[in-house]
Amino acid sequence: MQEHGEADEARIAALFRDAASGAPPPAFDAAQVVATSRRITRRRRSAVAGAALAVLAVVGVGVVAGISGPRDATVTAASGQAADQAAPGAGAGAGDAARAAAPEAPEAAAAPNAAVPPVGPPLGPGTRECADRQDPALRALVDQALPEVVGASEAATTMECRPGGERGVALEAGGGVLVVTYLPPGPVTEPPDGARSAPTASGGTVLVSSRPDRAGDAAPFADRLDAVVAYLAPRL
Amino acid sequence: MSQGPHNRADGAVRPVEVAGADQEFDAYFRARRDAVRRTAYLLCGDWHRADDHAQAAFVALHRHWRRIRDRDALDAWMRKTLVRTVVDESRRPWRRERSTEDPVVTTSVADRVDGVVTRHVLVDGLRVVPPRQRAVLVLRFLEGLDVAATAEVLGCSEGTVKSQTAHGLAALRAALGDALDDLRPAG
Repeated sequence: MQEHGEADEARIAALFRDAASGAPPPAFDAAQVVATSRRITRRRRSAVAGAALAVLAVVGVGVVAGISGPRDATVTAASGQAADQAAPGAGAGAGDAARAAAPEAPEAAAAPNAAVPPVGPPLGPGTRECADRQDPALRALVDQALPEVVGASEAATTMECRPGGERGVALEAGGGVLVVTYLPPGPVTEPPDGARSAPTASGGTVLVSSRPDRAGDAAPFADRLDAVVAYLAPRL
Repeated sequence: MSQGPHNRADGAVRPVEVAGADQEFDAYFRARRDAVRRTAYLLCGDWHRADDHAQAAFVALHRHWRRIRDRDALDAWMRKTLVRTVVDESRRPWRRERSTEDPVVTTSVADRVDGVVTRHVLVDGLRVVPPRQRAVLVLRFLEGLDVAATAEVLGCSEGTVKSQTAHGLAALRAALGDALDDLRPAG
């Protein structure tokens, strides 16, 4: 504070306090906060359960295929690996399950220039009226692309209603925050500084960025962001 | 926690610790909601969005409540979460905020005698201050944090806080011109 002394600070502080006065009645109360928190928790648990069921289905198909003939031994082994990963998985995250179901994901993430074929049709725009800020389907893909974030806590996001076609994930991981956003087809202005972006298979745009919690630290996964974008783009 | 378990509508018994945690959260919420809303308002410049950001921060806090062991650090946790949420929002490419080169809404001399309009002048000026600098100003002058505490919330060095304060005030003064005399450097 070279330009002003304590008197200046006091005057400015008074201005700031005055500017923040005259608040309208609050638009939310504790009951709404708790209800929203619990709804998010229930939805996360449902997503985990759904992913676990999907893994069980994959494992079941693998077992049946293994029983049906020796030629399928490779498939069975891969499925067995998936089962091993998912087994602790009653309590594991959706990402664990999704990663187990797609064991090629870590290699894809580690090799940014490798040709990774899209898995099925692209996810495309969301269908809710308001965008899901912590979209479970996008989270599963992010977990595949960047296994280090499996089980990472969700970072706080705004609750303002955005167009429902958007999807988002914001995670606290690697000593910072990783933000992944899918924008549906349409005009997009330039991405934020440091963000990686790419057009997606559905005609939309994927944006990936990260930043450290502390200044001076390296942004988490900085050397992996291009690979994450490359992995997500054909799947979104 | 002296009260015993009580029943939910579905007849299941709610554990005592859950009820106790909820009571603690409720007490914290009631004590801090208005302050968090005010901070959010100066960070984003709009009461509707401020409520949205404040609610998001409280929801995040509730979800982390049992994992935050140091209850003395709650305020710092909330500030950090709130600032991050607002700054993230401002970084979104489709919500580009006005640059410092954009003109601030002009206010007539007659209007400036009205306290409400004076408030709006400062808020309008803050809108054109870059988000990180704005966060520094709000934490320092509204929340009353010192340089070290501000640096902790923002995850940056104290030197950065000092320089961001100077740059933020300069940007605010440039944006407001003579609209608010109190922002002129004394002497």
